[in-house]
Amino acid sequence: MSMPKGFKAKNGYATVGERGGLGYREIAELMTENGFEMKHSAARNYFLQGMRKLAGPLVDLYGLSKEEVDRIALDPRFQESVADVIEEGIEL
Amino acid sequence: MILDTYFDNVGNRPLLTREEEVELAKAIENGDARARSKMIESNLRLAISIAKNFRDKGCSFEDLIQESNLGLIRAVDRFDWRKGFKFSTYAVWWIRQAVQSHVAGQSGAIKMPTSARGIMYKAQKFKEEYSEEFGCEPSFEEVATSVGIPADTLRSIYKSGSYAVSLDRPLSSDESGGRTFAEIVCGADDTDPGEEIDKALIRKLLVGALKKLTPREENIIRLRFGISEDVTDTKNFPLTQAMKKNITQRSK
Repeated sequence: MSMPKGFKAKNGYATVGERGGLGYREIAELMTENGFEMKHSAARNYFLQGMRKLAGPLVDLYGLSKEEVDRIALDPRFQESVADVIEEGIEL
Repeated sequence: MILDTYFDNVGNRPLLTREEEVELAKAIENGDARARSKMIESNLRLAISIAKNFRDKGCSFEDLIQESNLGLIRAVDRFDWRKGFKFSTYAVWWIRQAVQSHVAGQSGAIKMPTSARGIMYKAQKFKEEYSEEFGCEPSFEEVATSVGIPADTLRSIYKSGSYAVSLDRPLSSDESGGRTFAEIVCGADDTDPGEEIDKALIRKLLVGALKKLTPREENIIRLRFGISEDVTDTKNFPLTQAMKKNITQRSK
């Protein structure tokens, strides 16, 4: 029996395409053009790092363990909610 | 109170034996009005018990009892003792038919033909049997197939047959006051206050956390979600076709 291959997301993926969002490669290219040289993996890491920062206070609010931060940060439903909050015009 | 007295009166009447039933039926055939009355009065309990089964169909209980009594009278007039059945076995069908027909004509906001009510009754029965056998609800199409009509027709029948409840109707059966349906039924656009508080709290937390992002993280998150503070800034936030379309539609 062969080993399972690839990664299966539990809750699908955030629908960035419908929002007009970009892929990590495109983001990396844009950032590089603007003087911040980076690869697609770095773009992804920056994105997830930001998501972890946003998930942190929620983990504290609900009294969850710190290990939950990663799970929440990766959850597309959480990412969609963050996008909604930003989209509603809240100043960063 | 009146009903209680009626129940007491009916309950005090002794039930008939099979032999008594035959004797009375013979007398009724010969035009004996007292025998007819006795036969009817002795079976009023049966009429009440059948009427009870239809109490949740949107008609008043008193009316249901009246109708089932009329069914009982019809059964007494048509009972043929020669067939050898007990009277109650025969009368049940007449009583039930009378009550069902009344329910069909009276309940619901829209008057429905008896045949449509019959279909609803069959569909309900099928659902109950299906759930009992398979432990789950049948699909709408399965129910429609079982009663032999298209799913759309069954849907319209259900829609027309739903019972209307007044918003001013009290919640409890005791109509001396208390809360009404209008006080507890929420509108289609109402939200759970608890949920709203949770959302507001989470939003506040997120806004606080968003301020702690470094400019680079913020920029990448915005690019990832296609959200720009300035929609004309196509250099840092290049718009996809979908986003452009969205903005064009909004500006119209």
